[in-house]
Amino acid sequence: MEEFDGEPAVTVIPGVNSKKNQMCFDWGPGEMLVCETSFSKKEKSEMVPSCPFIYIIRKDVDVYSQILRKLFNESHGIFLGLQRIDEELTGKSRKSQLVRVSKNYRSVIRACMEEMHQVAIAAKDPASGRQFSSQVSILSAMELIWNLCEILFIEVAPAGHLLLHLLDWVRLHVCEVDSLSADVLGSENPSNHDSFWNLPGNTQTLTELELKWQHWHEECEQYLQDSTFATNPHLESLLKIMLGDEAALLEQKELLSNWYHFLVTRLLYSNPTVKPIDLHYYAQSSLDLFLGGESSPEPLDNILLAAFEFDIHQVIKECSIALSNWWFVAHLTDLLDHCKLLQSHNLYFGSNMREFLLLEYASGLFAHPSLWQLGVDYFDYCPKLGRVSLELHIERIPLNTEQKALKVLRICEQRQMTEQVRSICKILAMKAVRNNRLGSALSWSIRAKDAAFATLVSDRFLRDYCERGCFSDLDLIDNLGPAMMLSDRLTFLGKYREFHRMYGEKRFADAASLLLSLMTSRIAPRSFWMTLLTDALPLLEQKQVIFSAEQTYELMQCLEDLMSRRPVRGESDIQQLQDEDIETTKVEMLRLALARNLARAIIREGSLEGS
Amino acid sequence: MIHDAQMDYYGTRLATCSSDRSVKIFDVRNGGQILIADLRGHEGPVWQVAWAHPMYGNILASCSYDRKVIIWREENGTWEKSHEHAGHDSSVNSVCWAPHDYGLILACGSSDGAISLLTYTGEGQWEVKKINNAHTIGCNAVSWAPAVVPGSLIDQPSGQKPNYIKRFASGGCDNLIKLWKEEEDGQWKEEQKLEAHSDWVRDVAWAPSIGLPTSTIASCSQDGRVFIWNCDDASGNTWSPKLLHKFNDVVWHVSWSITANILAVSGGDNKEELQMQPQIDHLP
Repeated sequence: MEEFDGEPAVTVIPGVNSKKNQMCFDWGPGEMLVCETSFSKKEKSEMVPSCPFIYIIRKDVDVYSQILRKLFNESHGIFLGLQRIDEELTGKSRKSQLVRVSKNYRSVIRACMEEMHQVAIAAKDPASGRQFSSQVSILSAMELIWNLCEILFIEVAPAGHLLLHLLDWVRLHVCEVDSLSADVLGSENPSNHDSFWNLPGNTQTLTELELKWQHWHEECEQYLQDSTFATNPHLESLLKIMLGDEAALLEQKELLSNWYHFLVTRLLYSNPTVKPIDLHYYAQSSLDLFLGGESSPEPLDNILLAAFEFDIHQVIKECSIALSNWWFVAHLTDLLDHCKLLQSHNLYFGSNMREFLLLEYASGLFAHPSLWQLGVDYFDYCPKLGRVSLELHIERIPLNTEQKALKVLRICEQRQMTEQVRSICKILAMKAVRNNRLGSALSWSIRAKDAAFATLVSDRFLRDYCERGCFSDLDLIDNLGPAMMLSDRLTFLGKYREFHRMYGEKRFADAASLLLSLMTSRIAPRSFWMTLLTDALPLLEQKQVIFSAEQTYELMQCLEDLMSRRPVRGESDIQQLQDEDIETTKVEMLRLALARNLARAIIREGSLEGS
Repeated sequence: MIHDAQMDYYGTRLATCSSDRSVKIFDVRNGGQILIADLRGHEGPVWQVAWAHPMYGNILASCSYDRKVIIWREENGTWEKSHEHAGHDSSVNSVCWAPHDYGLILACGSSDGAISLLTYTGEGQWEVKKINNAHTIGCNAVSWAPAVVPGSLIDQPSGQKPNYIKRFASGGCDNLIKLWKEEEDGQWKEEQKLEAHSDWVRDVAWAPSIGLPTSTIASCSQDGRVFIWNCDDASGNTWSPKLLHKFNDVVWHVSWSITANILAVSGGDNKEELQMQPQIDHLP
């Protein structure tokens, strides 16, 4: 029997004494409920829970942060733009586009960081101030990592340019001024330095550069050996630094804020034309030397190291663990995937890393009352499981307003998610019926193509009509059009209303034919026949003959049909007797009217035309 | 002591049930907790609650040690008892609503070994079908399979109900998981028996469908094991178990997230454990 690897992750719920009590739980659409309980199903339970609360556990709390919301919104736009980049583009133009996308993402992170920094400063209480500040450092770390990934994986800076980029990278992220490099620039051989670093637009090749540097390096070494600066210990240590002497560099540790600053400085002086593949040797040793065995590497350090080792998967994995939401890894991985850097790892879920992370991120967005709309687009770009994930999530969006419901429906209809459309319309129809908004209920059931519900609502309309003598929502019924065919009852409702309209327009002959056909075609429910026959009365009583003899016979047939099926009444109370009386009177009136009409009709039809 | 808590479909309401015989409903929108209803009607501890699909209105089912299943409904803003089913001879342990596509159908599993299926037929009427001796000694859990229209991808003509094959799983004190299928004559037949546990099966959970042609069921037991059962073929004949994990104590509860990517497991060693549950991907 196969077994799965890996131990499950353990989450501890605060306040619940997990040693003493058991927990029961359930999934909500975006969260999980946990509470203390006892599972042994005895009638009287000995265990008394110490904690009376039910906990709601959410994974994706960051969606609720006001400032991060901007991050989500803006990166959404960048994401979409990236997906639409022409696949045909190759080579340099493609690369420059991808680099631009990466810079866009980073600027969004920086903007968010800046805003949060402002909020942190302005915070009234120290606790929230600290919280915001820690958010700022997280964002800063994200930008740091992203920037490095951009240099190494997307820009793919070659030797020479690589160090320049890394210098920029460090300068951007180190708050304190690099006083060391300032010193160096002001030192003995400025002219050499100037020409050396004049790389942009430079026609020198890498080899020429290397030779020049070698030359300069040897010169410095010569100075050291000749003890040219022996009288000035300051200048001597400067020389050592310029030669990339690690010990000398480490003496200035306070000026170097972290190991990667140390790394880049070291590379600057010992191997400025470092090749990308050699980076990791320097990285690892820089980290070790800088920490000096006093402290152990933090998660951020490990992530950067993995990047220097060009181990993209490790970077993504460590970031996933370290960060509290999927935003970073989802977008970065997607970008790297566009750079064709991810091997098709045979991950089970979502079938590849990119899709897996995007699915997780998008699912998190659905927990939010308005950000879910962003999630829709992300699902759209997940070819394997995006559609079905969207189907499952979209049905769970609470439809508190009509506007929201319409929005959701539009999204489903655009994607031909007919099942979801039907289900949502049914829910809305049901809600409308319960709130007595029959017109709304009817239009929802038509949209859902739900015949059974349409019948139900039509019945309600008819019942209302019988009670109040008039129709509500005339507009809707008048304009049903082909939707009328959805259910027999609905057809009847529409046609019945048409009859009333015709009568109102004095098109008596048409109205009469329609009325009759409603009964003979059996579209009218039997329970309604009495009403229809009663409606026929005014037509029968008109001065001119409307119903033909044949039609009159049919009406009589209907009446007798109806009467014959009436159940025999047993013992009845006063009210029922009264109702019966009314019934009998009505029937008698009908019979009389029908007979009279028959007589007139026969005479008219029997007479010659014009006479 | 709360025995079960369930969010409604949209995550806006919370239903809880307790050994104090009450069923409570809270409005939990925007992080609030407003008690909407305190429903009394059971005469013993209430074990489980289940929300029906919102297209049928606001309906909640609860089952209890008092051998009864009560269906509660919200009408005009107030919650009331809508129906009571007292067809079992001992504690009813589990209730589960069928996929909304089948109509309004509730499965109930009881310690008397039987499973009853209540189908709403309209006008406040419920039709009952009972499967006696589904599990010897008792049935602890029931879980419906997601609705899958067999075969056709063609849109059904409006008004016609497609021919769904209704299935559900049950777990019992006979250490077995049984799969039940509704026959054409409306009777329920035992379709499969899944054997792997060595002690009472405490919970079964059929995973939501993510469009793959496979079916997946999670089960957990008194024996401390959690199994994932997979069936590859559409006819549902060959189920193969994979041991997910063996815990040191009873495992009481398993539950899938709505996109079936996470399985949550509650173990007797009292820790909440969450798992990343990889689905077996059969697409090339």
